[in-house]
Amino acid sequence: MEAGSEPLPLDILITNVVCVFRVRCHLDLRHIALKGANVMYKRDEGKVVMKLRRPRVTATIWSSGKIISTGATSEDEAKIGARKCARCLQKLGFQVRFGAFRVVNVLAVCSMPFEIRLPDFTKQQRPLASYEPELHPAVNFKIKPLTASMQIFSTGSITITGLQNSCSPPSLIFPHPKPRSLLPR
Amino acid sequence: MTVTPARGPHPVTKIYCPSHPDAVLVEDYRAGDMICPECGLVVGDRMIDVGSEWRTFSNDHVGKDPSRVGDAQNPLLNGGDLSTVIGKGTGAASFDEFGNSKYQNRRAMTSQDRAMLTAFREINTMADRINLPRNIVDRTNNLFKQVYEQRCLKGRSNDAIASACLYIACRQEGVPRTFKEICAVSRISKKEIGRCFKLILKALETSVDLITTGDFMSRFCSNLGLPKAVQIAATHIARRAVDLDLVPGRSPISVAAAAIYMASQASADKRTQKEIGDIAGVADVTIRQSYRLLYFKAAELFPPDFKFDTPVDKLPQL
Repeated sequence: MEAGSEPLPLDILITNVVCVFRVRCHLDLRHIALKGANVMYKRDEGKVVMKLRRPRVTATIWSSGKIISTGATSEDEAKIGARKCARCLQKLGFQVRFGAFRVVNVLAVCSMPFEIRLPDFTKQQRPLASYEPELHPAVNFKIKPLTASMQIFSTGSITITGLQNSCSPPSLIFPHPKPRSLLPR
Repeated sequence: MTVTPARGPHPVTKIYCPSHPDAVLVEDYRAGDMICPECGLVVGDRMIDVGSEWRTFSNDHVGKDPSRVGDAQNPLLNGGDLSTVIGKGTGAASFDEFGNSKYQNRRAMTSQDRAMLTAFREINTMADRINLPRNIVDRTNNLFKQVYEQRCLKGRSNDAIASACLYIACRQEGVPRTFKEICAVSRISKKEIGRCFKLILKALETSVDLITTGDFMSRFCSNLGLPKAVQIAATHIARRAVDLDLVPGRSPISVAAAAIYMASQASADKRTQKEIGDIAGVADVTIRQSYRLLYFKAAELFPPDFKFDTPVDKLPQL
């Protein structure tokens, strides 16, 4: 994580890992809602939301057996959480078979030690960066090699979304620290 | 004096003065001549005037428009078809017993054209509400046509696309309007216009320049009735504030509003935050926030030749 001339130690914290998996059987949402623990039944949308405590994940369960799990802080945790959720469903009596586990989205947060001048930054990174102060106070920057995007705030905080897995962040995300305008204070 | 056929570097005109081949010929419509401006030679005569035959006035809708060439079409915008239609009958034979014409051809134009025409009418109405000039309206129409033909945004409401096109056109012409101003004349929400705006930029693969505080100064100040000196001062304050980076991350509109507040409070024409907020579409707490950031360096922000009615240290501190 070089920053041009001097290397700066940057911490990229993964805040959220979203994954999908299947339990390979139809689920009776009403049964889960009545008998399950820590669940919320959203009948209008046809889903059940199950919140696990450890790891702290929220699983959205559909009657088709497809489940989306969010809130984990690492891929392994996401997998553990998914398996726990499947185990809960198994205990409720369904013939569950864990399958098709796939990490869909990884969100990470990073903070630069300096502030960033957004208008100048956007002018330099024209096609990749888009800044609309009226709509959102951050610059939307598309990271070219990955199909991920960053939201860069003027305080130096950066939110990275759209990553495929958590291994890519450091190497590919920061090829461009130089164009950033450092603010002398 | 003979008319020589064109050759080489004269793709447009077919005739030219033999002694001044590069001169652009002037048309004398009274005599029907084309005259060379350099030497006065009459190069072409009996030129046919392609202007209209009669004058028609817009309040003269007395049945017949004597023009024999029809309306000025918008061929660039409307699919430009040169198709003809069967005219209404005139003799007795073309009417049946009840007086209805036998051949009823009210063939409507294609649904695409109709949608575009509705959109153009809507754009016209919106632009009219905020008194936008013709060039912006034309640009908006062109943008809409491009977007519509691309069909990327097909699912979106046409009004939303039209509003977003209007916003983009204003930006491209260098006179940006805020999203809130466009919202005020459109029935679409700011969120939807913002979404369509981003989608259109992606679809047309263009980008627009960033908005600056100076773009809005003249409009806001004249709406508030502030004199020119205050406007100049406010522009200067806002520009200095951005240069010194006193207001990182603040929208240029909020900074402009705060600058106007500071300038007006220092002059004889004071305006309240609420008034400025109404005109600019900014909440008065937002003006207060930005003003606080400007207040620290107030003395440096004013232009050097500004006449203070209220000195800098007496400016309100919020």
